[in-house]
Amino acid sequence: MKQQSNAAWWLALPAIALLGLVGFVPLVAVINYSFFDIFTLDSRFWVGAEWYAALVGTPDLYAALGRSLLFTTLVLLIQFPLGVAIALLIPQNTIAKGAVLMILALPLVVPWNMIPAIWLGFINTDYGFLGQMFEAIGWDFDYKFTAMHTWMLILAMDTWHWVGLVAILAHSGLSTVPQTYYLAAKIDGAGRWAVFRHIQLPKLHGVLTMALILRVMDSMMIYTEAFGINAGGPDDATSFLSLELGEDIAAFNYGPAAARSVVYLLIVMVVAWALQILSRRQSRGAL
Amino acid sequence: MGLANLVTPAKSGGVIILLGLKILALIGLAIVMVAPLAQSVLLSFMSTLPRDDMAVGTFTLLNYRNLFADPALIGSFWNSLTYVTFNIVICLAAGLPAAYAISRFSFVGDRHFLLMLLALRITPPVVLSLPVFLLFAKLNLLNNPIGIALVHCLFNIPVTIWILESFISTVPKEFDETAFLDGYSTPEFFVKFLLPIIAPGIAVAAFFCFIFSWVEVVLARILTSTGSKPIPMAIESLFGFQTDVGLVMAVTILSLLPGVLLIFFVRNHVAKGFQLRI
Repeated sequence: MKQQSNAAWWLALPAIALLGLVGFVPLVAVINYSFFDIFTLDSRFWVGAEWYAALVGTPDLYAALGRSLLFTTLVLLIQFPLGVAIALLIPQNTIAKGAVLMILALPLVVPWNMIPAIWLGFINTDYGFLGQMFEAIGWDFDYKFTAMHTWMLILAMDTWHWVGLVAILAHSGLSTVPQTYYLAAKIDGAGRWAVFRHIQLPKLHGVLTMALILRVMDSMMIYTEAFGINAGGPDDATSFLSLELGEDIAAFNYGPAAARSVVYLLIVMVVAWALQILSRRQSRGAL
Repeated sequence: MGLANLVTPAKSGGVIILLGLKILALIGLAIVMVAPLAQSVLLSFMSTLPRDDMAVGTFTLLNYRNLFADPALIGSFWNSLTYVTFNIVICLAAGLPAAYAISRFSFVGDRHFLLMLLALRITPPVVLSLPVFLLFAKLNLLNNPIGIALVHCLFNIPVTIWILESFISTVPKEFDETAFLDGYSTPEFFVKFLLPIIAPGIAVAAFFCFIFSWVEVVLARILTSTGSKPIPMAIESLFGFQTDVGLVMAVTILSLLPGVLLIFFVRNHVAKGFQLRI
């Protein structure tokens, strides 16, 4: 049982002050802008909920939301099973383990705007390893104009970029399983699946929650990487939520961009709240 | 080791085949993960623009020579290192007491605090880019590494708090009580007792702060429109009508080095295991 103490607020105060400065102040400003038509910051006109009405009334928003949700779903379906499988493969031997973990973490330190550049080089038909392989097998991979191929490229790139994070977190969860559990399972004659389901998976709960939050949110709001591949094309097929917002900002449509931001924030908050409830229910179940 | 032997089944044919498949899978994984970067390394050692004295595709160190001869590129590297370092220090300094508070006490609004952390971590930077720009213009923090270090706290303080909380929660409460009974103040306790015992947690938190701050583009771009450009922006400015792909890749490879170094140091700590409470 934790001690009840409101004096603990003082300990949290520096973090709250910083987050207030870089989080809440700008958020309030965004909400404020969303009710104005802004020519310059000095000349702006109150338009009430006009931007919201325009935004909610167009099918654009729902199409982009649909694309983002589909992308996030695919990302989770690919990266979680793959990440956990990789974590199970990581060898026990210290040197081999270190090497595998390092290789997995490599894409995480690449600046995000370079991820698409690296992949466009990789699939370049003139010199790219993968592009030349496609040429050799006669596959006409056309990410510029075939929507299916653009999606495949972005998913492959995103998986390369992030599966290491899922795998590293899953591995860190697995390493908390005491060796004696495996011994007990062996004595009981438990199969590989039973060991995974009843011994390893429960230990993965906490770390996979963190991985889930990071992956859900970062994939729903993917911007830099997807934009670098095909700028939302072909024909808006990969124009996710953040890409549409980026276009508004780039066009200096601050009022509509702010309204769009607020709508996105609401979507994100609903997802965050759902994740929190899910996570608390799960951890209560585990206890 | 004796325990491990008991756990490992006796080597039979099937087991050896399984082991072989595992090794093959690991090699395949390594190839897939490394191949796109290997491509970049290769390009960084190639002449990729038509030059008078060199055919396209010739092996050369020219890209790296050009890179080190360009003060703007080298400067951007230091700019990035500066704000990432500041960001890590700020996040740890503000995150440690907050993580301790959540780990040890229940207080009015603690759940809301956790929800706030989650909400801020997942706020898309592009949503905040414009007001952050205006706010930091007023605070005179544009084109200044401190500005970026501060704004990256938005997503790094929550991560720091989550990670440190999970490490602090593994330390028994009696540990704190002993220190306080010995007459140490709270700040002294943090520095002399808590920090050493959760050192792996500090390393893991610093690692995550590093990777999220080093690679971030949207906020870093808007805050450095005219100067103090960080390395992702410096690379971006190399793209143009005739992009020197070799040089771009050389800068990219250089930009990976600090991260790779950091991974090397924390590779065993990140595998320690931590539980997250949101």
